[in-house]
Amino acid sequence: MLRHVKTGFLYAALLVWLIAVVVPLVWVVVNSLRTSQEFVKNPFGMPWVLAGNANELPVTDTESAWESVKNNYTKAWIESRFQRYFFNSILVTSISLLGIIGFGAMASYVLARFRFLGNRALYLYFITGLMVPAQLVLVPLFFQFTYLSHAGSALLAPLGLQVELHDTYTGLILIYIALSLPFTILVLTGFFRSLPGALREAGIIDGCSEFGVFRHIMMPLAKPGLVSAAIFNFIGLWNEYLLALVFVNSDAHKTLPLGLAAVSMQAQYKADFGLMFAGLVIVLAPTLAVYVVLQKQLTRGITVGALKG
Amino acid sequence: MKRSREQTVFMITFLAPAFLLFTVFVAMPGIRAFAYSFEKWDGLSAPKWVGLDNFAALLRDRDVFAAALWHNIVLTVGAGLLIVVLSLLFASALHRRVRGAALFRVTFFFPNVISSVAIALLWVLLYSTTDFGVINSLLGWLKYEDFGRLNGAMDVARGWTGLANLELPFPFTGKPYLIYSLIPIIVWASTGFYMVLFLAAMEGIPESYYEAATLDGASEISQFWHITLPLIREVLTVGLVFLVIGCLKIFDMVWIMDNEWPTKETHVLATLMYQKVFSEYNIGYGAAVAVLMFIVVFMASMFTLRLSRKEALEY
Repeated sequence: MLRHVKTGFLYAALLVWLIAVVVPLVWVVVNSLRTSQEFVKNPFGMPWVLAGNANELPVTDTESAWESVKNNYTKAWIESRFQRYFFNSILVTSISLLGIIGFGAMASYVLARFRFLGNRALYLYFITGLMVPAQLVLVPLFFQFTYLSHAGSALLAPLGLQVELHDTYTGLILIYIALSLPFTILVLTGFFRSLPGALREAGIIDGCSEFGVFRHIMMPLAKPGLVSAAIFNFIGLWNEYLLALVFVNSDAHKTLPLGLAAVSMQAQYKADFGLMFAGLVIVLAPTLAVYVVLQKQLTRGITVGALKG
Repeated sequence: MKRSREQTVFMITFLAPAFLLFTVFVAMPGIRAFAYSFEKWDGLSAPKWVGLDNFAALLRDRDVFAAALWHNIVLTVGAGLLIVVLSLLFASALHRRVRGAALFRVTFFFPNVISSVAIALLWVLLYSTTDFGVINSLLGWLKYEDFGRLNGAMDVARGWTGLANLELPFPFTGKPYLIYSLIPIIVWASTGFYMVLFLAAMEGIPESYYEAATLDGASEISQFWHITLPLIREVLTVGLVFLVIGCLKIFDMVWIMDNEWPTKETHVLATLMYQKVFSEYNIGYGAAVAVLMFIVVFMASMFTLRLSRKEALEY
């Protein structure tokens, strides 16, 4: 009897939490398919298209109902420039990820597989970065970006390249890569260490160069670790707000979280809730898709990172 | 084996990009931030060395800085306690293999992948004081609905929870209440993460311990206290440190929910730092706040590192 009560209580708690997590998200999706008038009238209603005329709407025919639903997304995507923000987010996140995984894997491989003076010190140097909050580095970076841009331009002048870090994709991407390296190096060094070392010697004896061993033997074997690190970083960067707020000014370079915040502030004043819900869905959808497909790798990456400390 | 020239070149080329980026964009600014915190500077004129003046100003500022620090503490303790209790409860339920465990795990974790800006905006709508405010409607329903035979019990519950005297709609996101209203949001958003963390630790405990305890007649609750909890102690500590660091760094939600202009009723350390630097051009003061945040994170991380370096318990 007592056992049943306990099981019942546990299930009740789990179910309440399940509802508390799922219902608000379903609510966002449903309301992105309704007009603002519908939402204000009844925040719990179904979209007109599904519920028929049960909500006593001013809309009279199906076609205009469809129009009003499509309206939210068209307005968000085109008028409110989510198109632009989405593209920016894709660009910044994907280039950052390439840099993080590429440079992170290269450094981790050498740190994990080669013995040299200062190896341990260099590893600790990177790992100390885990303790540096973005808040600490953003102020000096903001005030030294002009100097860094000049220095970078001078350095790259022979290649005919100009560096501008203020309010550019470049600046944001470089900061994202640098701040994500510590965690990535922590996870990937652990991963490369767990791979059998004899493989490298075998590769070298078979005439592979060091780079060949890395490229054709180690990288394929490290794939699960690389995928975990990539998903983890993807989610962090896709949602990143503070650094983007500091280092991006012009509307043309804004990423999705910045765009969503700006558009929603205005939408609230204009009581344009349909637009706001559509914006929320546009921001949520990619992380939801990645999560549904790759949730195992993500949670594994997090536990590995966390348990190692 | 002597290292060949090729090998040396390979190692340097592979380490260089990460080393350079990390040094230029993390290590050097990190050190520079410490230097800023000893200066008085408005970002334009020449900075002036003032020693520990900025830190002294922080300690003397019983108004805004103390309030911001207090808010971080309220969030850490308030949200932290709820998160630990809930995530342990859920993790141990899933660990005992209730039906649908996979579904619960995947769903509960999901809020962690949502942008905190989106979460803040979602809750602004849920907390709204207008007719469509979901939470206020729910409270109104609980307060006024006729529950028939249950009315007696409901009245007691209403009195107990203070709902009877609560004026509705309640301005959850109003300045005096905003910080407290953040607690449910943080709990909603983070419980799944800690549940997954603790669950992973629990799954490392050998099943035979529980079998033996069951044979000895130990109840599930005493198994939790005497087997599960002691054996996940280290991961639990790691989780607590994560909570402290996470609650210390909170910025997005306060910034968005207070319309990008927090005041002393709503400031947390991160928003205070941002405003001092980018609105008041008091860069030394802002840097001093950032340095204090770093020191807390640093100490918390060292604590975890020391823990994880200790021998893991042998099963």
